[in-house]
Amino acid sequence: MKDLISKKVIRIGVAAVLAALLAAVTVALSGGSAGFAAMLSEPFFKPLKSALTSLVGSLEHVYDYMYRFDEMEAENAELKKRVAQLEQDYREYTEISEENGRLRSLLGFVERHEEMTLEPATVISWTASNFSSSFTASKGSDAGIALYDPVVDEYGNLVGQVTSVSGASCVVSTVVDTTLSLGAQMYENGEAGVAGGDFALMKEGDLKLSYISNTTNLVIGNTVITSGSGGVYPAGLVIGTVSGIAVGSSGLDPYAIVEPACDIDALAHVYVITEFAVSE
Amino acid sequence: MARRKNGVLIKGLILAPYLIILYLLQSTVFTHLQLMGTKPLLLPVAAAGIAFFCGRVEGGVFGLLAGMLMDLSYNQLTVQFTLLMTFLGILVGLLSDTVLAQGFPSYLLSCALELALVSGYQILSQWVLGNAPMALTAPVALRQSLYSLIFSLPLYYLSRFYFRVTRSGRTV
Repeated sequence: MKDLISKKVIRIGVAAVLAALLAAVTVALSGGSAGFAAMLSEPFFKPLKSALTSLVGSLEHVYDYMYRFDEMEAENAELKKRVAQLEQDYREYTEISEENGRLRSLLGFVERHEEMTLEPATVISWTASNFSSSFTASKGSDAGIALYDPVVDEYGNLVGQVTSVSGASCVVSTVVDTTLSLGAQMYENGEAGVAGGDFALMKEGDLKLSYISNTTNLVIGNTVITSGSGGVYPAGLVIGTVSGIAVGSSGLDPYAIVEPACDIDALAHVYVITEFAVSE
Repeated sequence: MARRKNGVLIKGLILAPYLIILYLLQSTVFTHLQLMGTKPLLLPVAAAGIAFFCGRVEGGVFGLLAGMLMDLSYNQLTVQFTLLMTFLGILVGLLSDTVLAQGFPSYLLSCALELALVSGYQILSQWVLGNAPMALTAPVALRQSLYSLIFSLPLYYLSRFYFRVTRSGRTV
């Protein structure tokens, strides 16, 4: 036994415990914002991850283009050249149009909510975990982003919340993540509830609106918005629409299945709300 | 003494880029390569490979570093994988040193064991902390382990290559 558990093995175990303690202490000292490993590695990994993500994005674009091109070739060979040219023009147009639309939407959202301060950021990478839904965004506390800041897309739909922040980046847990829950209400009738992630629904890209009364009139297609209670989220941000109604295992707790308004899988640009007026 | 230091330096120079490349692949490229909504894990497979070939000391060190990167790729503040993968590196190395025969079947068994324990831990933590029923998390964990196991083949050759290049032998 003494031979099996040598001094070196014990030292490695102690090193692991020390690393864990150091991380716990730095997390505690930073007010739960970031561990030492994240802070130390960020300047090194952030540009590499950004470059790889953009490379993967480009490869996906190339793959999509090739796939469409093949289909068109099979359909009509003589128009191939012209279609390829049109495809190229179309892609450029779509990119410009999408960016234009995004900025217009954001402008509209900002005009409607002048009391909010927004910080734009891009999605660097998604979590490798199959048990959560979060991503790393390109800005952090240096840009004024703080822990628990709400995050929206260009239309003002709620994306999630900042759950960890370091100098140059932050981690955003999306609305479907099981760790997130927030005060919500139905836009149509003002009925209140709690919106939050649920593991079974997360895999489908949905979330749950629970703690609603048995008398609540749930209608598929109703809009669910933030209630603003608690002061963490501004009131009136669109969370999603009711896509189904179900009852919990006890048979006494109805809940609504909510499809998020933001397209989580297609997120590339997000906006962190760094300041907003709390409605009393 | 100087020779030993050189050996450690060479191992570090090989393992550091190996770890970083695997981490970057796991946290960027492989998050897009989902199979039935599941992403594969490379770092536990790589950690099992190094522990299997090089024994419990290098397995523990590699597990410690791979665990820290796992925590980073999972966007989490806690250091659960730092501790878990150090332990698993030592465990797989210990099994390889004592009871497992050398060869691909034993290596595959080590990878399966490491992935099963990582998945088991994830199921347990989801059940305790996230209140997610095991009936829902277990199929995801199973798909994750099976999908990740596919990558044990290329990583087998890389781990074996590292072992042969460094000629580390077993350090007790």
